[in-house]
Amino acid sequence: MPAVQETIDRVRKIDVDQYKFGFQTEIETDKAPKGLNEDIIRLISAKKREPDWMLEWRLGAFRRWLTLEEPTWARVKYPKIDFQDIHYYAAPKSSPGPKSLDEVDPELLKVYEKLGIPLKEQEILAGVQKADASELEEANDNVYKSGRVAVDAVFDSVSVVTTFKKELAEAGVIFCSISEAIREHPELVQKYLGSVVPTSDNFYATLNSAVFTDGSFVFVPKGVRCPMELSTYFRINERNTGQFERTLIIAEEGAYVSYLEGCTAPQRDENQLHAAVVELIALDDAEIKYSTVQNWYPGDAEGKGGVYNFVTKRGDCRGDRSKISWTQVETGSAITWKYPSCILRGDDSSGEFYSIAVSNGYQQVDSGTKMIHLGKNTSSRIISKGIAAGFSQNTYRGQVSAHRKAANARNFTNCDSLLIGDQCGAHTVPYMEAKNATAKFEHEATTSKISEDQKFYVMQRGIPEEEAIALIVNGFVKDVIQQLPMEFAVEAQKLIGISLEGSVG
Amino acid sequence: MNMHAQPQRTLAETALIDAFGERLSLLPGDGAVMTKRDDAIEAIKHGLPTRRIESWHYTDLRRMLTKVPVFEADAVAKALEPVLDGAAVLPVLNGVSSTKMPEIEGVTVQRLSEKLTDGSVAPGLDRYGADDAIGALNTAFVADGYFVDIADGTELENAIELQNLQAGGQAHVRLLARVGAGAKAIIVERQAGEADENGGALVSSVSQLVIGEGAEVTWLIVQEQPDTATHLAQFKAHLGKDAKLTLFVMNAGGKLVRQEVVVRTTGEGADFKLRGINLLAGDTHTDTTMVLDHAVPHTSSTEVMRNVVTGRARGVFQGRINVHQYAQKTNAKMACNTLLLSDDGEFSTKPELEIFADDVVCGHGATVTEIDHDHLFYLMARGIDEKTARGLLVKAFVAEVIEELEDDALVDALEARLDGWFLTHG
Repeated sequence: MPAVQETIDRVRKIDVDQYKFGFQTEIETDKAPKGLNEDIIRLISAKKREPDWMLEWRLGAFRRWLTLEEPTWARVKYPKIDFQDIHYYAAPKSSPGPKSLDEVDPELLKVYEKLGIPLKEQEILAGVQKADASELEEANDNVYKSGRVAVDAVFDSVSVVTTFKKELAEAGVIFCSISEAIREHPELVQKYLGSVVPTSDNFYATLNSAVFTDGSFVFVPKGVRCPMELSTYFRINERNTGQFERTLIIAEEGAYVSYLEGCTAPQRDENQLHAAVVELIALDDAEIKYSTVQNWYPGDAEGKGGVYNFVTKRGDCRGDRSKISWTQVETGSAITWKYPSCILRGDDSSGEFYSIAVSNGYQQVDSGTKMIHLGKNTSSRIISKGIAAGFSQNTYRGQVSAHRKAANARNFTNCDSLLIGDQCGAHTVPYMEAKNATAKFEHEATTSKISEDQKFYVMQRGIPEEEAIALIVNGFVKDVIQQLPMEFAVEAQKLIGISLEGSVG
Repeated sequence: MNMHAQPQRTLAETALIDAFGERLSLLPGDGAVMTKRDDAIEAIKHGLPTRRIESWHYTDLRRMLTKVPVFEADAVAKALEPVLDGAAVLPVLNGVSSTKMPEIEGVTVQRLSEKLTDGSVAPGLDRYGADDAIGALNTAFVADGYFVDIADGTELENAIELQNLQAGGQAHVRLLARVGAGAKAIIVERQAGEADENGGALVSSVSQLVIGEGAEVTWLIVQEQPDTATHLAQFKAHLGKDAKLTLFVMNAGGKLVRQEVVVRTTGEGADFKLRGINLLAGDTHTDTTMVLDHAVPHTSSTEVMRNVVTGRARGVFQGRINVHQYAQKTNAKMACNTLLLSDDGEFSTKPELEIFADDVVCGHGATVTEIDHDHLFYLMARGIDEKTARGLLVKAFVAEVIEELEDDALVDALEARLDGWFLTHG
């Protein structure tokens, strides 16, 4: 990978701690007081100018949450979270839209620059009110040669801006923040919100249902192929805040959409909490492709700080012949607790899960998927690559089940783990449950280290050890990288290089 | 053993606790043994494990153990012909060992009731973990069994067969064996019983094996309980330096069965093989759970399970391989293959790898499938009717594991048991 040296150099420049996005943005924010009670929920709901039914929904979830216990089955260890010591709402202070980039808070612009978002995109992201269609086109051409990407940027609790709305609207696609969707498309939100991950689902999902502040909403109507990639940037900025975003994506009959989320947070000594819920709904013949590049702050070299990432992601292949595909590159977070799942309800539907989980330092990853086969002739495929280095613990936990009526269910699972160093751990915990005689499940898993032969082969060609390892690791994860949209595949490869920095010698 | 406070005791829990109070005065043991018994019943008082306890996820004992039979003092069970010709038989009939000991050179056999009375087995009565419900149940109630000591360097010509047989009621048995350095032995553990009218026996059986340096042991568990019995069993082994253990488990009976296999390699160069077949039929539940600890460097293990599920049977295989941080150069492989032959059958499997050392080669594979239609077609195209063809394929699927055993007499004996099962379960 030629990018390796360049990546290493860049990282060195940024910080000793090697976290690329560890900057904090000094933007004035509007915060709710710490703590969680019904008043805070009312405040969030009021700030978002939500209708009454939404407030009731939140309060219902909150009351339910009070009765739940934190789950402890995952292989992660962390001090008990004080849920009353968190700000549940923080928003950058709003003012009328700026006329040009000069008027935009320069701090905000710096954030985008560091995030690697190009200038024209930055204008749009910052809400400069001049973008007309032609300029957008130009911006796009400069930005992404292989395709265009519409971006929704979420800062702490608030969606800052969404780009390309107009063009998407022409195609009939709705892409906006979830708060906006609640106000403007209540019928859609009411119909689908909570229909995949109900408010009573699990501790963190229920908490999210009560206090979620923003996130993205995508609706692709019948027969429409979304003309561009959709993308959301999540960033936790404010100290002591939790980010609770909620994403809802609906693809109607025959629709197609590809969506990518990217996540970063500044460096902090304390731990930040991130508990998101993502719901995907695919009707007949629809296809949703959901990719994640997760790079929350993983904590420093001693394991101090970092983001707790407790996420519930679930896709519902509700229609016949529908397809949902999850791809994730997990390099950040102190703790990851995440199982993007597919409910294969429609006949002939299919689900895919491609994952790379890289852990270094004191990171703990417990991630995997669930494939629930309910319909006939459903198929699923799981490819998971875990790489553990430093003092980290990396667990794959997955479930494949075929219910009584799931005739001809098919699954193939492959999870490989790579260990770098003798202080880390790699674990595999797959659950297979077959209740139908025509089901065919295959599972294979391996764990090993990079062989000395492989390393020797690469190094004897003059490649230094660290680069050699990055090269071999990138070969190891190639199957998954190939599933990512082009622009992000490059980013992901670099991220893996960065994450493994310092894991040798 | 259960973190969650149980709101109310189930009938079975209450019956066990009451039974303990009634039996206490009859149970052998010195002070140390009695203390262990008290600790064990305390654990049961906290509730039997539910599906919320990870290692019992697929066998919710609290829900599934609905009835606990009373102890039947006058039930009569008869010793069986051994699986292997010429084997010395050590029967435990309705939980009571025989006073007649066979004379084998280099082998000392003692009744476990004596070892309980003098307290010499007390340290071995500990549970191996907080969720060890079988260990707790057995420790609380164990009254008899055997202790077999095979002296260093003894190479046994004939097998030793330990039989645990009941005709109803409850039986709690422990079978202990120590195989000395350089010794060689084949040991058969026979678990069977007679169906009774009172709704089936409750059996707990714990086997503990310690294998010395360079010793080789083949241990066969042949479980053919009647389909009314609840059979909760545990096999624990420690493997010394260069020790070799081949454990063969055949489950072909019982209503509610849990066979735990807990193995630890404690000496470098140790090798463990688990070969298992589960033949599941009727409305039964059979759980095989293995926990294997590679605790020292340079040890190896392979596990192969073959399962056949018919009728409304439910099968479970959980296999966890732990590789400790210090256990570099571990080589561990596990496979679990299942044939689901009926629409109402189900099989759940959870092969786990838990690895803390980096210089290892570990892998597992698991499959669940029905009979391959191409294979069936191939046979039927040669004029073999469907039923016979299916039978051939199923038998070939499980026999593959048996044939791996190198001893011809063993292979023949096990295939005979296999044929017996196919005859009755078609």
